[in-house]
Formats: sequence, structure tokens, C-alpha cells
Amino acid sequence: MLFKACVESVEELARHSYYLLLREPQLAAQSRPGQFLHIRIGESLVPFLRRPFSLAGACPQRGTLEVIFRLAGEGTAILSRVKKGAVLNCLGPLGRGFQFSASRLPAVLLAGGAGVAPLLFLARALVGKKRRVALFYGAASRDDLLPLKRLLPRETAVHLATDDGSSGYQGRVTDLFAGAVRQGMQPVELYACGPRPMLQVLTKKNEAWNFPLQLSLEERMACGLGACQGCAVSIRQGEKSTYRMVCSDGPVFAAQEVEW
Amino acid sequence: MADLEVKLGPLTLKNPVLAAAGTFGFGEEYASFFPLEKLGALVVNGLTLKPRAGNPPPRIVETPAGMLNAIGLQNPGLKGFLEQELPRLQAGRVAIIVNIAGENEEEYITLAQELSAVPGILALEVNLSCPNVKQGGLQFGTDAANIGSLVARIRRVTDLPLIVKLSPNVTDIAELARAAENSGADILSLVNTLQGMVIDIAARRPFLGNITGGLSGPAIRPVAVRMVYEVYRAVRLPLIGMGGIMQVHDALQFMLAGAGAVAVGTANFVEPCTIPRLIDDLHAFLNTAGLSSLREIVGAAHH
Ligand SMILES: Cc1cc2nc3c(=O)[nH]c(=O)nc-3n(C[C@H](O)[C@H](O)[C@H](O)COP(=O)(O)OP(=O)(O)OC[C@H]3O[C@@H](n4cnc5c(N)ncnc54)[C@H](O)[C@@H]3O)c2cc1C
Ligand SMILES: Cc1cc2nc3c(=O)[nH]c(=O)nc-3n(C[C@H](O)[C@H](O)[C@H](O)COP(=O)(O)O)c2cc1C
Ligand code: FES
Repeated sequence: MLFKACVESVEELARHSYYLLLREPQLAAQSRPGQFLHIRIGESLVPFLRRPFSLAGACPQRGTLEVIFRLAGEGTAILSRVKKGAVLNCLGPLGRGFQFSASRLPAVLLAGGAGVAPLLFLARALVGKKRRVALFYGAASRDDLLPLKRLLPRETAVHLATDDGSSGYQGRVTDLFAGAVRQGMQPVELYACGPRPMLQVLTKKNEAWNFPLQLSLEERMACGLGACQGCAVSIRQGEKSTYRMVCSDGPVFAAQEVEW
Repeated sequence: MADLEVKLGPLTLKNPVLAAAGTFGFGEEYASFFPLEKLGALVVNGLTLKPRAGNPPPRIVETPAGMLNAIGLQNPGLKGFLEQELPRLQAGRVAIIVNIAGENEEEYITLAQELSAVPGILALEVNLSCPNVKQGGLQFGTDAANIGSLVARIRRVTDLPLIVKLSPNVTDIAELARAAENSGADILSLVNTLQGMVIDIAARRPFLGNITGGLSGPAIRPVAVRMVYEVYRAVRLPLIGMGGIMQVHDALQFMLAGAGAVAVGTANFVEPCTIPRLIDDLHAFLNTAGLSSLREIVGAAHH
């Protein structure tokens, strides 16, 4: 669970977005789409807590892991400056990841901003299982879009949306997808990750569509293990609600059970 | 060979490093990192009579060299603990101290009574100071007369070693320590978290769902060391010191100030193996310093 992963490379992929390639064969062998790493940023007391990042990929053959992160504050700024050969103290793979159903329905992945990271890993896994995969990917502007060509299998159909219309559809990725549904999309399985408002809107719209929908959530974390009970999300269970932990019960939850 | 065994009044521990209440769950999450029987003791997640759902999120937020938490004592209740958690801990030969919190005096008494009838529990720790439960510990924990009467009542219903955990959110912690001592406490532990707040400037409101939270981690260490130092002068009871311990030299500060044992909380979140490493480092410290026991340094800062 506790690994020293070696930094193979760090590069800026798009504005404020970084790609981190790590090597740790055991960790790579255990990692599944939707799981995350809890990374310690240096040894000093500021930043204090570990930082959680979804796995954007893991290759058991090469023993490597991929993380894609956006600059958000002090921790990610420090991480963007680590050098090749540095060693990162990682807890992982954490969380339970995406559920793979036996269905042969096409999969549609909806990504908002940095939320695309776990969906890249998922897309590769689904293509590996011979499932049809489409990615609907939204960002603020063209400069914020990751170069998906090198990150996705060729078989993935990509639909882009930007808030300013500088690339693809102008508007929200959820509206882009809603348009596709209106034009008569057949039943699909949905997987989504992104900012909370996006996931809320999507869940609401999906009440009419009723597609199976899994969401990867974020919440503030301390331990990452289920011990501190800090990363609670309210989950509906029949008539009642209970708190579940994003780190250990999630980060992936079925949309219809999440109470916002 | 140096020996880490410590005696705190009626309580004997194989080493002086405890996992602090609420930071180690019921141990399960850490069992894959090291054998839990290594712990001096595991102070389990704060327990209430009935299950508690806890506070609305967000429950935690990072602060400089620390964090705020407002978990709100989410726990499975006494019955859930006895049925789902305790058997596993006993099978793993873990030294168990149960931390209890009540919504009123009666609940503390019932918890103490029922837990005293259960074999395999080493001691009770009474949480007088959880700031995150509306009716809970804090109101008891800041008034010497309340502490006195509550501790005296618990004392009457249990023969287990009785640890009273003090709140730092008070003007004079020595006065509270004396009240606990005079009412039959065997050991005092300190400190619990300091009340704090973070404001979300974009939303223009308090960040935590509970509005306020408890500050822990290295940020509070100097406050905690000072309080251990003051309480050591005020009472004769053995003390368990905590607040921001990450490494052996942090633990040594508490011991020199007067703590016979220490507890590690927030550091477990940063490094899950903090406690076993601390135990090894205390061994190494004794050997290097040519000491046979930690007794020789407890309270030495007062001489
Ligand atoms: C399960 C999970 C997976 C994630 N995966 C990715 C990913 O693949 N790529 C990516 O760019 N980001 C991801 N995030 C968000 C990422 O953890 C935060 O952006 C990062 O912690 C910010 O750290 P900072 O020091 O730069 O920012 P600061 O704002 O300075 O951080 C301060 C504190 O807030 C916490 N924090 C800030 N933003 C978030 C957030 N959105 N979610 C949870 N905690 C936060 C930090 O961890 C830290 O404790 C993920 C979050 C979670 C919970
Ligand atoms: C997430 C969290 C939960 C806690 N829950 C409890 C609790 O249930 N009962 C209690 O007495 N103290 C609780 N505490 C306080 C700790 O046991 C400890 O007194 C405090 O955090 C200071 O130590 P530290 O700085 O090493 O964490 C909690 C602390 C944290 C961070
Ligand atoms: S971060 Fe501690 S329980 Fe999820």
C-alpha cells in the first residue's frame, strides 16, 4: 500500500495541466481505473497532508503509472516542479474504482476539466474489453484541452466542448451530450468525473434518460484510508441516508444514490 | 537493553506510544501497514451509546502544519462496537483503550458501566472535550465543577483504569486537571483539539459544514507541550501527552514536560507507519543516551 515511486517524467501537457509518469511495478500491477494515489508532497510540514490524484493509467508490463493534474495551489505547484529520478511517497492504489458491468452497451465517458484523468484509464480498459467508447470532454478553452490523441486508444470517439467555443461545441459538455441524446442516442452506460456542478446537472438530466451512471467524486481527504471519516458524502439507502467515505467506499458511486 | 514498558498508575503498557482517539478508527485500516499489537495501545474511535451519523461535509480542511476536523463523532455506537469491532481487535491481541463521549451524564455512566463488564478492555478514556458535538463533551469539559461530578460518578461504576482527556479550550487547564484528580481519575490525557475556523473567501462563509472544527497537528504542538508542563506541576497523576507529534524529538519534548506516555493522531494520516517508527526511534534514543528507561526523562524539564 505504501510505495516509493520513481518519477520518470513530468511535462506540461496543456495550460496549467501536467502529466506525471511514475515507475513502481507492484503498484502498477494492482491499479484499476477509478482508483487513486495519495501522494506526499515533500517531507516538510507545509503542505501538510497528502494530495489525492486519480490514476490516469497504469501499465503492468512497463511497471508505470500515469497521473494528470491541474495546478490548484501549493501542493500541485510543487509537484509540477519535481524532477526525473525523484522519489514520491505514494499510498495506493486507493478506493474501489469503476464497476465493470457485463453489459455490452456502448460506454459514454463525460469529463469536465481535470476530471478527464480517471476516464482516460477507463477508456483504455473498456476498449481492451472490446466495448465501444465515446468521450465527451469539456474545458474552459482550447488551451486547457489535453492532447487526447496520445492519451487515448484510436478507437475512442471524442466530442469536445469549450465554454468560449474556441474548440468544438460552445457550451457545457452536459449540454453537448444532451443534444446527442435528443438526436436519438441508443441506450448507453455513463461514467462521469468533473466539477460538482457538472455532476449535479448530469445526474438531474439522467433522471429522464435513466442510463446507468457512475460518478467519480472528490472530497477533502486526510488519511485516504477510511480511518479519519473526513471525506464523507451523503448516500441514499432506501428511505434513509448515511455517510460513506469517498476514499474507501468510493471515489466512484452510482449517481442515483448520491445526495448533493 | 533499554526497556520501553511504562507504568501509568494502574495501567501498564508495553511501550509509551498510543494511537490517539478518532485518528486510527478501530485499527482495521492500519492493520495492513504494521501489526497492531506493536501499539502501546490503540485508543479507539470515540464511542457514544447510540450510533452517530456525524456532521455534514466538508468535515476537514488543511491548515498550515495541521488541519481542522469536524467529524462529529461518527461511530457505530456501543452495540456496534462490541459486535463488529471488538472481537477482531481482541483476536489481534491489540491493547485496547476505549474513548467514550456522552450527550449527557447518564450516557457516560451507562457506557462506563457496560464497557467495564466486557473482558479485554485495558482502560477507559473519557472525552470531556469534543468540540464538534452540540450537546457533547465540550460543555462538560470546560467547567471544573462539572468535570468533578461526572468523573466521580464514572469512578463509582468502573474498576478499569480511568483516563480523563482534557480540553485545551479553557483559561486554566491546571484547575480542570485538579478537579479530575480529586474526583478519582487515574491518568490524564491532553490535549484534545483546539477550536478553530477557516473561511472560504469565494463563498464568503465558513468552510466546514459544522462551521468550526478542531485544530490538530504540529501547529498545536507548542500549546500542547505548555499544557502538559503546567498540568505536571499541578497534579500527581501520570499524563499522556499529545498534539502534533510526528517524530521522536517531538515525543521527547512531551516526556520532558511531564508525559509518561504519548499519543499520535494526525501524523498517522500523513505517514501510516509513524507509530512503529517512533517506537523504534525511542529505543534507539535510550540506547544512544545510555538510559535504561524513559522514567529518567519524564518531567526532567522541571528540574
Ligand atoms: C479522489 C480524488 C482524485 C483526484 N484526482 C485528480 C486528478 O486526477 N487530477 C487533478 O488535477 N486533481 C485531482 N484531484 C484534486 C486534487 O486532489 C487537488 O487539486 C489537489 O489536492 C490540490 O492540492 P493543492 O495543494 O495544489 O491545492 P490547495 O487548494 O492549496 O490544497 C489545499 C487542501 O485542499 C485539498 N483540495 C484542494 N482541492 C481539492 C479537490 N478538488 N479535491 C479534494 N481535495 C482538494 C488539498 O488536497 C489540500 O488538502 C482529485 C481529488 C480527489 C479527492
Ligand atoms: C479526525 C480526528 C478525529 C478525532 N476524534 C476524536 C475523538 O473521537 N475523541 C477524542 O477524544 N479525540 C479525538 N481527536 C483528537 C485526537 O485524539 C488528539 O487529541 C488531537 O488530534 C491532538 O493530537 P494530534 O495533533 O497528534 O492529532 C480527533 C482528532 C482528529 C484529527
Ligand atoms: S480521507 Fe480519511 S476517511 Fe477518507
